[in-house]
Amino acid sequence: MSNNLTNLLARKGIDNNLFERVQYEITSNGSLSSNSVKQLAEDYLIGKSNILGTASFYDFLKPKNFGKKAYVCSGTACLLAGKQDLVHSKLLDHFDQSEIGEICCLGRCHENAAFQHDLSNYSGTAIDQLAEIIDGTASFNNQDKYHQEAIIADPLLMSPITDLHDYYELLLSMQKKSKDELVHQVIESGLRGRGGAGYPIGLKMKACKQASGDRKYIVCNADEGDPGSYSDRFLLEQYPHAVLFGMLASGYISGATQGVLYIRAEYPETIKIIEKAVNEYYAIRKTLGLEFSFDFKIIEGAGSYVCGEETALLASIEGQRPEVRIRPPFPTDFGLYGKPTLVNNVETLANLHYILENGADAFSSIGKATSTGTKLICLDSFFKRPGVYEVPFGMPLQEVIRQIGRGFKIPVKALHIGGPLGGVIPSSAWDTLTLDFESFEMAGYSLGHASFISIPSTFPMIRYLEHLFAFTAHESCGKCFPCRLGSQRGMELLQKSQKEKEAISKVLFTDLLETLELGSLCGLGSGLPLPVRNILTHFSEELRPYFKNE
Amino acid sequence: MNNLRGNSMKKIAYIDDTAYEIEVGENALRFLQREMDQSQIPTLCDAPHLSPGGSCRLCSVELAKTKNGKRNVVASCHTYLQDGDHLYIHTDRIKRLRKNIVELILTDHPLDCETCHQNGTCQLQTVAATVGLEKVRYPEGKTHGNYQQDLSHPYLTADLSKCINCNMCVRACDEIQGEFILSMVGRGFDSRIIKGMDTVFKDSDCVSCGACVQVCPTAAISDIFAPLEKNADKKIRTVCTYCGVGCNLEVAVADERIIRISAPYEAEANQGHTCVKGRYAFQFYQHPDRLRHPMIRKNGELVPSTWDETYDYIIEKLGSIKSDYGPDAIAGISSARCTNEENYLMQKMMRAVIGTNNIDGCARICHAPTAAGMQRAFGTGAATNSIADIQHTNCILVVGANPTNAHPVTGAKIKQAAIQGKNLIVIDPRKTELARYANYHLALRPGTNVALLNMMLRFIVEEELIDQEFIQTRCEGFEEFKLKILNLDITELEKICGVDRKLVRAAAITYATASTAMSFHGLGVTEHSQGTFGVMLVANLALLTGNIGKPGSGVNPLRGQNNVQGAADMGVQPHQGPGYFDLSDPAQRAIYEDIYKVDMPDHPGLTIPKMFEAALTGQLKALWIMGEDVVQTEPNSDKVKAGLRKLDLLIVQELFLSATTPFAHVVLPAASFFEKNGTFTNGERRIQKVRQIIPPLQGVKSDGQIAVDIMNRMGYSQPDYNPEWVLDEIATIVPFFKGVSWERLGENGLQWPVMEDGSDSKILHKMAFTHGKGKIHFIDFKESPELIMHAKKFPYILTTNRSLEHYNSGSMTRRTNENLLVYEDILLVNKEDAQDKNLVDNDWVIISSPRGSTKIRIKVSDQVNPGIVSTTFHFPEILINKITSDVLDSEADCPEYKVVAVDLERIGFK
Repeated sequence: MSNNLTNLLARKGIDNNLFERVQYEITSNGSLSSNSVKQLAEDYLIGKSNILGTASFYDFLKPKNFGKKAYVCSGTACLLAGKQDLVHSKLLDHFDQSEIGEICCLGRCHENAAFQHDLSNYSGTAIDQLAEIIDGTASFNNQDKYHQEAIIADPLLMSPITDLHDYYELLLSMQKKSKDELVHQVIESGLRGRGGAGYPIGLKMKACKQASGDRKYIVCNADEGDPGSYSDRFLLEQYPHAVLFGMLASGYISGATQGVLYIRAEYPETIKIIEKAVNEYYAIRKTLGLEFSFDFKIIEGAGSYVCGEETALLASIEGQRPEVRIRPPFPTDFGLYGKPTLVNNVETLANLHYILENGADAFSSIGKATSTGTKLICLDSFFKRPGVYEVPFGMPLQEVIRQIGRGFKIPVKALHIGGPLGGVIPSSAWDTLTLDFESFEMAGYSLGHASFISIPSTFPMIRYLEHLFAFTAHESCGKCFPCRLGSQRGMELLQKSQKEKEAISKVLFTDLLETLELGSLCGLGSGLPLPVRNILTHFSEELRPYFKNE
Repeated sequence: MNNLRGNSMKKIAYIDDTAYEIEVGENALRFLQREMDQSQIPTLCDAPHLSPGGSCRLCSVELAKTKNGKRNVVASCHTYLQDGDHLYIHTDRIKRLRKNIVELILTDHPLDCETCHQNGTCQLQTVAATVGLEKVRYPEGKTHGNYQQDLSHPYLTADLSKCINCNMCVRACDEIQGEFILSMVGRGFDSRIIKGMDTVFKDSDCVSCGACVQVCPTAAISDIFAPLEKNADKKIRTVCTYCGVGCNLEVAVADERIIRISAPYEAEANQGHTCVKGRYAFQFYQHPDRLRHPMIRKNGELVPSTWDETYDYIIEKLGSIKSDYGPDAIAGISSARCTNEENYLMQKMMRAVIGTNNIDGCARICHAPTAAGMQRAFGTGAATNSIADIQHTNCILVVGANPTNAHPVTGAKIKQAAIQGKNLIVIDPRKTELARYANYHLALRPGTNVALLNMMLRFIVEEELIDQEFIQTRCEGFEEFKLKILNLDITELEKICGVDRKLVRAAAITYATASTAMSFHGLGVTEHSQGTFGVMLVANLALLTGNIGKPGSGVNPLRGQNNVQGAADMGVQPHQGPGYFDLSDPAQRAIYEDIYKVDMPDHPGLTIPKMFEAALTGQLKALWIMGEDVVQTEPNSDKVKAGLRKLDLLIVQELFLSATTPFAHVVLPAASFFEKNGTFTNGERRIQKVRQIIPPLQGVKSDGQIAVDIMNRMGYSQPDYNPEWVLDEIATIVPFFKGVSWERLGENGLQWPVMEDGSDSKILHKMAFTHGKGKIHFIDFKESPELIMHAKKFPYILTTNRSLEHYNSGSMTRRTNENLLVYEDILLVNKEDAQDKNLVDNDWVIISSPRGSTKIRIKVSDQVNPGIVSTTFHFPEILINKITSDVLDSEADCPEYKVVAVDLERIGFK
């Protein structure tokens, strides 16, 4: 992250951003020619090395992904489901080994066996119709189906939007209130960020509103990278206007005129749906009579988990290397192109309509303690009834498992809730937790995004640990020493313990986890030790052969 | 316990329960570094001049809001403390964290310290020892050990197997130099540093400033001099000789040889940065070509001689010329490369001992019009503000200057400011590096500064963007000026300079409406037939808009050589002595006579161009040149040579034989700036100490000592050369040196005027101008006689300039590895012209002018507009000054190097 690059890239602005130019050059020509690099460097007045630095960061822009015809989902749920080999071997009937790539989580965790072909995602039994898919004669719509249900009488997120014009008219009544009043309402609602960190959104909004800047941005973080999570995809596809409204409302309140939706490239269908929704809004806007202007820009990711971290995400939009940036300054002061920026997760934004329509009290009366409102949860394919559910905060975990998910198809020894950095909760602890930030934190877990990954009893925990380290090593931006080196070394230790029967020093491993946790710059490196320690604590017996005491 | 400095308004933070004051805006790392021993807080991604990195995490400490409060581990480099915060810097947890991080680093670092050239100066090694790391416990894993070394570059080297990904080189390239040559590529463990298009240093666009080398904590990015640094027995600070920025250099010495040069972070002039010349171009001092004994021409040959014999020869010759033709048959050319004290002694020798005002310096051919023009406008011919003002200004106007080449550290600062969004206006015929980043680039036809500046001035007056109050209280001449400027025909001016009026208007408005605006100008303003007038119009811009006497404003000439300002201050000009007293005025002359105890010459002497003319007519018989290669650097060299041939005595005092020495009767071997003490005054009036790094080479004397020796032998007694006594004498004469003494100058020097109490001046003309009011002059454009006379036959305009890698005639830089970077002058030709003339890159052409012709290779470039060609003058083989014009500035006799009527003829590829 460089302020100078931020300033130079800002000269071209969001509509001519470097990130899309680089993606365009690579996708249209198959690679980044030296002439393109020179031209881009000249156009943006930056270094050729900067162009290469950006292009080389993303999975989908890497030369090894040129010419890939299909991608197999390498996400956690697909791994645990054990279907990846099958999918891969079926793809081999039609493609060369070199034409098949890997992609990390297509968000089809409810039925797995996920793969991407020709910018469309498939899962479940679709692989059985691969020939038809390839020749374009498949009879099904590739949009996946999964159970969707609100476990609350009056849903905040899952209530149907019957009339778009009416829905957006809330903006008109907002215009009659003072912006301070509106911020106050959001603060009073107690709404906390749904992306994982749980930061009070009203405070962020207030900071952005107070920050001075000739331009401000609202960024929707739709880079739902947590393997196992597909609730953001659900909202973006089923309730796109709730997300757009959240951005509009945030923009009005904080004085931003430009919204940016950063959507991961792994969700090609989602991007199309949002594009359509934006155009629907633009049509409505003409007759709405708003006193403020606000435009949307959709940016498609290019394959990088760390872009879900807000400072990396902003750097990514600008076209810089999406490395995590030190804070302060915070994005609300120095965000996209150096301007005050409010970055919020999809689900967080989708809550704003309810709050602004029904008031803070209506919202905060739902939930438990500082976990106000509801939470979307997504259950993986080991549940008897996988799907996305809206539940009020505070629901007992066992109720989610038994009543909502209807229990498991096979024996499960632990749930990994909240993405790769969330807590791994052994079955023995399921009775003790309720679904809210506090309960999870106090017990040494993390609710994160509230996605549910079931770890089957038969799946070796040492492999799961290796998977967690490998994921972090693959996705680490490389900026801070602990994460860049620690994730790699941890992965190597775990691999050696299996392949070479080289037991890991417990002291060394403890030191490594502490270094990652205390030393890492962002949540990726510092978050990894939590699930790892959960596993070490609760599955020490299973892991005993792989560790040694000195 | 506390450790407070007694300021009760200050906020307090505690380090291990001891209270200290926090400075506003500093991060916890800077706070800890200030209050504790530097080694207490290890770090591997921090340098004083870089923004916080946050990569290594070694500076982590525990932070609590209260003494017994919950402690969080934070990286101190991006933690900002609040009143009452408690830091704990050496807890077991912190010690363990640091040690474990270093252990991780060493899992991917070759453990070959014993054979590594950085052994002993490696930061990683130091930090590993500090944290007490004994062994690496991890089994062998993936590493970057297989990376190839990069030894492609004459100075820079890379061995990225030793890189620890601290990103400091990338940040230095970006935040200091603004070049973006380096970047990380890839991600995570696989990320690595690349140069340019993932190539070697030599093939990248690297400007070789060495900022990356200076910050690299290991041997990953280094230079050819680094391996010897551990042998250094001392490091001495001095001032660079390669331009008017006045970079401080820290010179490492071993056994009286220079080992390596770095830039001290605490230097106010350059804050830890310098350029390829300052950092690397030092080897000339021990080049075999260095002159090591005096020489006298005998039977047409220069033959070695002793100092005594040579002095006797000089005294005898000068004595007879003086008695036969009078003192005015003798002239001296002093040097802006020499110290203030040497320049002072040189003029003293000419005036007080020989008895003539025929003393001039190389400023004549660069900034004499600046001195003249600014004296007329403000009363003082010196930069009104300081370089540091770039931080405070809201608009920068660069006129006729290419500082990223010629004043690289200032150039980098201006570029940084532009990148960060400050308004930048560049007036230059060429698309310079700064022009690429500017809001407005006014690419005028060479020689039309006056027309273009008049357009700007007219728009400012017409649109009433003037500072009425400032004009009324501080200026005179406005009403008359206003009448005349409004009478000018914009269409006509637009046609003359070839720049769209809308662009000029927008630039003028930007300059005039900025809350503060500062201008920088170079030889693109001065080296013109209307050079002095151009300077006066730049001054007008400042006067009309009230941009004088306050931070972030002013008129700031970029001095070409290191001591142009100082040489003029010391009286190296034929009409004014030290301190600019007019020698034709008896009262002012008496100031010198009181001190020198002799009668001083009362009529103005000859300027350099007039010296050659006088030589040609036989009026001038003897010329003493201290450190200038007039044949290579003066325009119309054939005429210069003809003049020199007519002299009875030509004394050249030099480091090397030059294009001028073939005409010399006596050559005196002089000491380089590494070999003597003294002071240089940089472009912002900063008088800085030049320190002797090594003794003069055997057989060589400093220019100051030579002047002293001659004066003594001519019966005017002077002590041996030593800046201390000379400065004391200068302080008695030069009013703005009143408070200067060797001791007082300290590490960072003082900016004149220096008051009796030693306080100095960052900004001039705060309350009043030197001569009371600022003078606004109206000047009308006049086409250069060069073009009027010759444009028809020679339809192209040549404008000369400087490369980054070479300094002036190149006598020093050509004798270093700079010559491996740039080894010839290249003519830049626009694409259209190249097509017309059927030229491609590397073709040779004959470039001819009314004075003569030379052969040169071309490069097709969009840096120049059609009809304009441009090249440098560093190489005597090309000797571009053979063809340059000896049209002079009408006011200050500065030659018009920037407008030369030429034609091109293709020879073909050779």
